[in-house]
Formats: sequence, C-alpha cells, structure tokens
Amino acid sequence: MTDAANTDRWIRWLNLVQLVLAGIIIMAPTVWMVLSSFKPSFEVTAYPPALIFTPTLENYVELTRTTPFLSYALNSLIVTVGSTALGLLFGIPAAFAVSWTRISWPAILTLAARMAPGTLFLLPWYVMFRQVGMIGSYTALILSHAVITLPIVIWVLLPSFDGIPRSVFEAAQVDGCSVTRILWRIALPLVASGVAVSAILAFVFSWNYFLFALVLSNGDTKTLIAAAFNFIGEGSTQWGALMAAATLIALPPLVLAALVQRWLVSGLTLGAVKG
Amino acid sequence: MASISIRNLVKRYGNFTVIPDLNLEIADHEFVVFVGPSGCGKSTLLRIIAGLEPISSGELYIGDKRVNGVQAAHRDIAMVFQNYALYPHMKVYDNMSFALELRGVSKAEIDARVKRAAALLHIEPYLDRKPKELSGGQRQRVAMGRAIVRNPKAFLFDEPLSNLDAKLRGQVRAEIKALSQELKTTMVFVTHDQIEAMTMADRIVVLQSGTIQQYDTPETVYERPANQFVAGFIGSPAMNFFPVAWRQERAILSQGGMVVPLEGESAGRLRLAGDAVLGIRPEHFAVTTEAADGIAVNVKLVEPLGSDTLIHFDLAGVSAIARVDPSLRPKVGDRISLRPQPGKTHLFDASNGQVLR
Repeated sequence: MTDAANTDRWIRWLNLVQLVLAGIIIMAPTVWMVLSSFKPSFEVTAYPPALIFTPTLENYVELTRTTPFLSYALNSLIVTVGSTALGLLFGIPAAFAVSWTRISWPAILTLAARMAPGTLFLLPWYVMFRQVGMIGSYTALILSHAVITLPIVIWVLLPSFDGIPRSVFEAAQVDGCSVTRILWRIALPLVASGVAVSAILAFVFSWNYFLFALVLSNGDTKTLIAAAFNFIGEGSTQWGALMAAATLIALPPLVLAALVQRWLVSGLTLGAVKG
Repeated sequence: MASISIRNLVKRYGNFTVIPDLNLEIADHEFVVFVGPSGCGKSTLLRIIAGLEPISSGELYIGDKRVNGVQAAHRDIAMVFQNYALYPHMKVYDNMSFALELRGVSKAEIDARVKRAAALLHIEPYLDRKPKELSGGQRQRVAMGRAIVRNPKAFLFDEPLSNLDAKLRGQVRAEIKALSQELKTTMVFVTHDQIEAMTMADRIVVLQSGTIQQYDTPETVYERPANQFVAGFIGSPAMNFFPVAWRQERAILSQGGMVVPLEGESAGRLRLAGDAVLGIRPEHFAVTTEAADGIAVNVKLVEPLGSDTLIHFDLAGVSAIARVDPSLRPKVGDRISLRPQPGKTHLFDASNGQVLR
C-alpha cells in the first residue's frame, strides 16, 4: 500500500472517530434525559446508572397531575408564536431595507443586540414593564423575546435578499412598482424558503429561551422552560418529573428541525435565486 | 411614444465624473444605438433615462415632461435588461401582464395585449411556463414581450443580445429591428458590438469617456467618421492607421518613407496639414499587379473567411489588415502590392485625432 493510500485511510478513520465523539458529546445528555424520563423516580439518580430498567410513564403522569403543564405549554406557544410573528413582521422589511440600501449598520446593530447577554436587557425591561404594569403579561414576554427573533430573521434573510439579482428589482421599478410593492410581490416570494427557515429558527430560539420568562412572567403566564426550573428545589428536586418535562419541552424544536432538516440546510446556505 | 432630450447632463459617482457634459436629442419613433467600449458611460446614460440612476446636474425630458426627479415607475418607459431580469417565480404570462396589472388595466385588455405580444414574438406555447424552463433566446423574447405589452413612450435595451450565441444573436437582432419598424416607438439600444449598432440604428451615438464622439446615421459614421476614435471603433476589422507626411509634393509614410498613392482631396488636405494620420479600412485596399501603382508589402498571415480573405501585413511599423477578394489566396511571405481605393482614405489630425476636412 502506498504512503498516500495509507494517509487517506488514516484521515478517514480520524474523521470517523471525530464524528462518533461529536455525536456522543451532543447526543449523550439528550439520550440520558429521555431514558431518565421513563425510569422509576428512585432510579433516576441511582449510581451507577441503570442501563436496563422497566420503562414507566409515572414521571409524565406525575408531571401532569402536579403541575398545570398544558397551561405552561400554551403560554410557551403564545409567547413563541407571538415573538416569531413580531420578528417576521419587522425583520422581513428590515432585512429587505438593509439589502436594498446596502447600509449595513442597522443589521450589525441587531446582531450586537443578539450577541449581548440577556441580563443586559433584563433589568431595564423589568423596570420599564413594571412602571407600565405589564410584568407578567404576554405582551411583555412577546416584546422581550422579539430581541431573540428579530436578529435571527434579519440575518437569515439578508443573504437571501442579497442573492436576488438587482436587475429583477430594477425591472419591477420600471414596470411601475413602488419599493414596498417590490418587497411583497417580487422579493418575498423569491425568498419564501428563507422566510420559513428564519421562522423556524426564531421559533426554536424563542421556545428555548429561559431568562426573560423567568423574571418577566407570573404564575399565569409562565412558560414551560421557566416552569421546569421550579422542579429544582432545595434538597427535594423531582428529577424524574424534571426529565419528563425537559423531554416534552425539547420535543417541538426537535420534531420541527427533523421535519424541515433538508430545507433548513439549504435555506441557511441560500444566497442565489436563479431565474 | 415620445422624444428624449438630454441637456447638459452630468453624472458623478463621488469625485469620479462618468459623464462630464452631454447633450442629446432623440426624435420620436427613432431607433438610436449607444455604442462604445466598456466604461464609456453608455449603460449609465441608459439607466439615467430609465430613472434607475439619479442625475448629478442637467436636464432630462421624455416628451415634453422634465423627468429629472421622476421615479422609474412613473416614467412610462420599458426596459429590456442584459440578463433579462424576468421574475423567476412568475409564469411567462404573469411576467408579461404584471406591469399592466399594476396600472389597473382590465383583465380582458391584459389578456388581449399579452396574447398579441406573444403571437408577435412567437412565445405563445410558453405562456404557462416559468422562466427557468425556457432557453436563453426564449427568455429574451419574454423580456421583450414584457416591454411590448405596455405600449410605453420609449423602449430601452441594455445589451440584450450579449448572452445569446452568435446565431441566435443575429436572429434576434433582425427581430428587434423588425419590431421597431412595426411598433414605431422610440427605442434606445445599448451595445458594445458595432455590428449591432450598424445594422439596427437609425442613428448611432458613439461614446468615449462619457462624451459623444459622433451622433449620426450608420452610413455617415462609417463613411465619414468624425475622428480617429470613431474610425477605429466602427468597422470590423478596424481601420488601419499610418502616420503620413507631405514631402516633395508627395505623400510618404512617416516611418520608412514609402510613397503612398494619395489622390485628389486627400492629397490636398495632407498638403495643407503637413503631417497627419492616414486611415484606410481593410476593405478599401485593392491589390494591384503593377508594383509601381501601390505599396509593396510582405504577407504575414492569411485568413480565408469564405466571403473574402483577410491579409495581415506590416507597414511602416504598423500591423495592418487588407480585406480582399476570396479568389486571391497569397501565401505567407509573398510580396503583394496594395493600393488605397480612390476617395476611400481618411486623414486625421496627428495632434488631436479630429478628421481633416
């Protein structure tokens, strides 16, 4: 066997090892979480962990019996859908405006806002929402989560809009379109898959966001992820129910991502619209 | 249908001036072609007329209306783009009807106009297809159809043939020319291809560095170029240029001192100027059998084109071409005698390139 063939074989093996390691690191907590949610509660924290056990739904039953789980799920849905819709409503025209004018600082500003720690916004928001009596309202939660969704929509859609040949917009101008009409009639249909991808990503990020809901919600508007935190108590954490809750919380984003996996990848690499 | 009037137009990008000061009158129903090398400002000028580029100073009129600040959407002109710029998500029919729909034209009227234009352009079978399902030539026709249905005041074409192969280009060129005669609408066509300019235009605008070098009919631009730039740009192969001087009552090549057989007016003009640049088109050389009548040259390369033959040779330090009858097939290294056809020579001022008249 030649040196080159030997090197190729080693590279293939190393790639495989890397993939397996990455898979274990990423998947192990998820697998452990799902398995634990089906274990009897006394076995969840047993050491060494039991790999063979009789699956039970007792944690799920306990979860729905002791908590208003469906109400929390509905709250999560309202906040996530609301903030995603808000992100799309303002993010689509914003991304188009940045692409159209080629003035990029507004997009960079929103990216900076997305990268800043959530605590930076939390205190001013808390004070502001309290002053107007909105603490615990859906509106406060939706508005705060728009900080998550808006930059995602803008940054996913920007390359999509940039990928449309400028002459297509110019043809529409000559045809008699205003800029607004160009956005709705020409640009938006051409970036439909980008819009879908940005909506899914915004949904997932908003659904998973914990900090704002923890502080700005109340008992009636608590989201699933903030409610799950309540299972961790001092010395009496219900690990089994917590695992069941975590599994159910992770389910919508995972299902969504699995359903549109191919679309997601192509949408994220979107950049060119071919006529 | 309308005339287009450009008065003292200046276009700058920051500190860079693309068009320094341009005046141009395009008559109603006229087919005008802007031609020039890359970067001469021809596409910029077209985009200014379309309303896609703002004017730095000067005035632009379409018909009687001053349109300096008027948006493209309200200029009532139609434009065909180099890459066609069709709406990829719309079917051919919708591409063509879109502008009419925006103007609130009734559905019956839209249908009639789209079908009429489709028949004219032979694209009826494709009305239900998306642009990606069409060939380059078909897309090009759809782009023209989109312009035609609107009955605009003027059609603007921005190098619409440059993405087509040579055969199709010739075909579509003829179709556009026929369309212009049928529609009788003002048309402005941008190209860098002088053959397109010569074959299609009522008048040609030859541009260089944002300045009009000559604005005249194709025949005049070819036969009586205003300067050395126009003479070199229009015509293929390009005109040959040789520095010449008037010495001892004869025209001689500045380098080498060979006598050039110049007659009549040309000789008179050179006598007055003393030094000049002599321009002879390749097709205006005649091969003579009498060596004393012409200029003896060595054949460097022979290109038989079928319809005629191109002979490459060096003369007075200049690489030159003669287009001769295809029956003449000299070999490389042969010595032949060439003579400029009487009345077909051009003399240009050696200092500024302007034609000597």
